[in-house]
Amino acid sequence: MAADQTIPDERIVGPRSAEDDVLRVEHIAKSFGATVALRDVNLHLRKGEVLGLLGDNGAGKSTLIKILSGFQKQDKGEMWLKGETYTPKSVDDARAHGIDTVFQDLALIDQLSVYHNLFLRRERLHKPIPFLSNALMRRNARKALDEIGINIPHIDVPVARLSGGQRQAIAVARTISGDADIILLDEPLAAMGAKEGAMILDLIARLREEGNVSIIMILHNYVHVFAACDRVSLIQDGVIALDKPTSETSVDELTEIVVEEYRRARLEAHVGNGAALANPVAASDPLVATDSLVVTDSADVVDRLAAADPPATTETPADSAGE
Amino acid sequence: MAVTSSSGTPARSAPQGPAPSRARRGGSGLGVLKRFLTLREGSIIVVLVITVIYFASTTSKFVSGSNFKTLLPYFAPIAIMAAGQVFVMTLGEIDLSIGAMYLFTPFLYYKLNKAGIPIVPSMLISLLVALALGAFNGFAVAYIGIASFVATLGMLFVLDGVTLVISHSEQVTTPGTTIVGVTTFAQIFGEGTYSELIWALAIVFGLQILLSFTRWGLYTVAAGGNRLGASEAGVNVRLVLIRNFMLCALTAGFVGILEAVRSSSASPDPSGSNAILFEAISAVIIGGTLMTGGAGTVVGALLGALFLGILNDGLVIKGVNANYLDLYLGIAILIAMTINVYVNRVRIGSGRGG
Repeated sequence: MAADQTIPDERIVGPRSAEDDVLRVEHIAKSFGATVALRDVNLHLRKGEVLGLLGDNGAGKSTLIKILSGFQKQDKGEMWLKGETYTPKSVDDARAHGIDTVFQDLALIDQLSVYHNLFLRRERLHKPIPFLSNALMRRNARKALDEIGINIPHIDVPVARLSGGQRQAIAVARTISGDADIILLDEPLAAMGAKEGAMILDLIARLREEGNVSIIMILHNYVHVFAACDRVSLIQDGVIALDKPTSETSVDELTEIVVEEYRRARLEAHVGNGAALANPVAASDPLVATDSLVVTDSADVVDRLAAADPPATTETPADSAGE
Repeated sequence: MAVTSSSGTPARSAPQGPAPSRARRGGSGLGVLKRFLTLREGSIIVVLVITVIYFASTTSKFVSGSNFKTLLPYFAPIAIMAAGQVFVMTLGEIDLSIGAMYLFTPFLYYKLNKAGIPIVPSMLISLLVALALGAFNGFAVAYIGIASFVATLGMLFVLDGVTLVISHSEQVTTPGTTIVGVTTFAQIFGEGTYSELIWALAIVFGLQILLSFTRWGLYTVAAGGNRLGASEAGVNVRLVLIRNFMLCALTAGFVGILEAVRSSSASPDPSGSNAILFEAISAVIIGGTLMTGGAGTVVGALLGALFLGILNDGLVIKGVNANYLDLYLGIAILIAMTINVYVNRVRIGSGRGG
């Protein structure tokens, strides 16, 4: 397996599409000038499924999300949504097709109130003169936040005054409270404390139980992947290097792939410099190689996640990183 | 409270009794003041009141009906142009071509009328041209990616130049106005005593509603506050840019015609029109619109224009030597802006507390 991965083209995982695919993506490629972000991505999403997207910084995760969300256009490749060709012209267009996104930078407007942010591009208007119906938006915002279980004391304040976690929660709430049936989340747990992160994970667990929406989520934390996702896809160098149900893989397997990538990158760097591999022991040590990738927030969170979803964390990921 | 708070534990719970009532009492007097100061226009109102009190107490002629009439042309045109500029500056952009637009439209209007087109269609066509030029400004910024400062500076010189060329540097009599008597057209579009004031109030009122209560305004604030975020959320930021530059150009072009009708003539004087550009931008900033974008107020811009008008007028009434006028004006603006900044600090401080 490790040998296969040194030959890039053999790492491409074909689209194992199924009858109930809501979204299917084939041979997506995207470059920015000389930088190749995505080389050949094949991906599918089943109805009601939560797919975790993993990958190193710069692997192309966010680019893929931006293409799916209609914010950017792919150079090559095709997409199908519920069996029909999907070519979003804009974020608005994607939303009209039922795909809504929480971007990495949250796309919140600091100067606007919580409720204006929640309803940005979905404003409620008076009739017949299309003035903003602030009272209605305020009420609905309160209702939506309560339903989701997010506690924001004042919905009239500009979002600039809120904490990082609250802002993230609002961005997630904005997407979830819409009528999208496919939700894309670009690092929904970044900038969040353990408590707020758990709140978002609970929310996703609830959506997963209801089974009405399908979710693609970029995550960095393996524990979160096993707690929240049905399936995991790992992007490396602009291709999907692994695509498995979370029940069929383990933290060890994911770590091994990433370690392998670091080893290869190190080798390439040294070959490029004309120097010998400096320290092969360090390169094969997951702690050295993947310190930024295998993140376990705290024992407390791990315990809570294990309690909430026992089968997913039988591998006690704290052991692999916590030595 | 003072009696019971001797031991440790009661001291923690004791203030809970009187404290809310104190806050509530504060809520009536101090709270109103706080609410007032949290208004974006709060600081300019304070500055304006101080200025009015100063001139009213040091000169006898300041508070009079006739002085009010002299004051009008000082501020009404500036207020209208500033109102349009608020929409551009709330986006974090700037339109430097409004003075040139103001200079250009009366001559276009004159030329169209000379070519045999009746006055009202001539005026409408002139305003449409202003809109188109505004759209070009917006296009240059949104699509070509030229900084608005540079794009509109280019437009400034182009329009100044075109005006000088088509006018042959000669003053013209505004069509629709007569030397003896006043036409209804002229009455409505600038020559009536309160014509410009009514236009200014109506436009400011309308544009403030546009900014505060419509999607147009919401997207303006959104695109000014976080351009990438707004576009990710689905706001068509380029469209917002273009239509706001169009609105800004329209107000400037309209004021150009109003002023030409009011004075019955138009003279191709770029230095005069550029002075108006600076006054309009000053009015916007003094009024409380952020130069960095994301927050703006049309009413504030009107008050800013009123402040500049009163300052001009008050200094003239006080008999300040004409040579010193600009000097005093500059110093007064700096002082007013300093007060503005301090009041603003109170405003933000109170906002953070609440």
